[in-house]
Amino acid sequence: MKHLKPLNAKAELMDAANNPEARADVVAMQSVVGCASTTDPGWEVDAFGGVAGLCQPMEADLYGCADPCWWPAQVPDLMNSYPDWDQNAPSADKDWRNLDAVFPKSRS
Amino acid sequence: MRKHLHRYSRLGVAALAMLPLLLAGCATAPRDYMAIANRPNQVSLIDLEDRKVLRTCPLPGRFGAGTLQMSPDKRTAYVLTNQFENIYGVDLDTCEITFSAIQSEGNTRIKTTAAFAVSQDGTELYVHQNPSLLLRDRYEVQEPRLAVYRIADGLKAKPVRTYSAPRQVIVMQTGNDGTLYLGGSDIYAMDAATGKYTLKLASRSRQEPRYSQRDVLSIWPLGQQSGEFIRMYTAQRFADETRKPETAELMWGYERIDLATGEATTGDFGPLDVVLFSGMTRPHHPNEMFGALSQLQKFDIAKQQLVKSVDLGHSYYCVNFSSDGSKVYLAGTYNDIAIYDADTLEKLGNIQLPGGDQSLATAQVFPRTP
Repeated sequence: MKHLKPLNAKAELMDAANNPEARADVVAMQSVVGCASTTDPGWEVDAFGGVAGLCQPMEADLYGCADPCWWPAQVPDLMNSYPDWDQNAPSADKDWRNLDAVFPKSRS
Repeated sequence: MRKHLHRYSRLGVAALAMLPLLLAGCATAPRDYMAIANRPNQVSLIDLEDRKVLRTCPLPGRFGAGTLQMSPDKRTAYVLTNQFENIYGVDLDTCEITFSAIQSEGNTRIKTTAAFAVSQDGTELYVHQNPSLLLRDRYEVQEPRLAVYRIADGLKAKPVRTYSAPRQVIVMQTGNDGTLYLGGSDIYAMDAATGKYTLKLASRSRQEPRYSQRDVLSIWPLGQQSGEFIRMYTAQRFADETRKPETAELMWGYERIDLATGEATTGDFGPLDVVLFSGMTRPHHPNEMFGALSQLQKFDIAKQQLVKSVDLGHSYYCVNFSSDGSKVYLAGTYNDIAIYDADTLEKLGNIQLPGGDQSLATAQVFPRTP
């Protein structure tokens, strides 16, 4: 690596990562910048390792968890890539059939 | 008979003479109302005594988070919307939008989780901002800040002051003396005129030999009906300082700021048997703590005991009370408000909202004249 010189900001970060002293401290994020950066597993189990403590029914909790990226892996990213995912489903209980699966947008 | 008629007619005349006074009394007597936002993106004013939705006002942009704070005169609702970005002030009597704080600009995107508050004199709005720089190949998280908007600036409001602020602030409230309380990993008190802040109540940083670190979920700025800024924590309470997990009891506790005096108090209020999302003390009954999610639970704070628990028809996130403390209102998740008797926890009814889910919206209850 000593013969390579970083040319842009990302390369400088990679270079710095080789040197622990130059590495910035890792701190908890204070802001959701998109669901892909959220790591809360959310949905599957409650605080006791079961499911009895989860919201009843699941649909009651759907938007409360999707809006702030609480369920990052299970629903589309409403903050970044699919902000209109819920537009045809104001009521999760009645309109859940309108909540479609999403696919990456075509680059063509 | 004539004598009786005469007497009744005299009573009738007396009643008629008092009618304007009675009507005036009706017109000016404060009643309890609720303001709440829901999907697609609207805010409703509800007469809680008649259990009737009086008015529903549309809001610009997309829904979310639906956090709501009232102006001191209880006429204007400030709602966090457009996916945690913009705050609009809407006159609940006319549906006119009188204020907007459009936070994101250029490639700086600003999100506010649920942390904003109105000054006690109604002239300023305090907002905790989380900026991210959206660059071509990465996002750069910027330092959080506290932005002050002048409400008189109306639809073109821009921050008039900004201060450095703690990270991870989720809810805020103003005390009666104007102090701004910020609920983050700890609770801080800020002088909104200078931006200087101090630790008010240690939560995550608290060091207690017999307790684990506290865990707090608090995204609803509740408590004004009981004169408090309050949130709940969960923690393990160990038998002794050896901190053996097998000896631990799981406890619910509260972190409370008295909005009138600024006094901070905290302590356990009962066993953690079910998950609760929000809670507050009952107005005029400071020893009674209520919390809700899939159950509505009532605790005796001094005895640290569960007094009563009832299963709910579906989960509700948000607890609030009538001004006299006799009724509990449950909101959030779907599009109905559930009403319970605060003494017996007997269900008294529901109010159906037009539109869809309330999701994380905050239900604010307040007395005002019609």
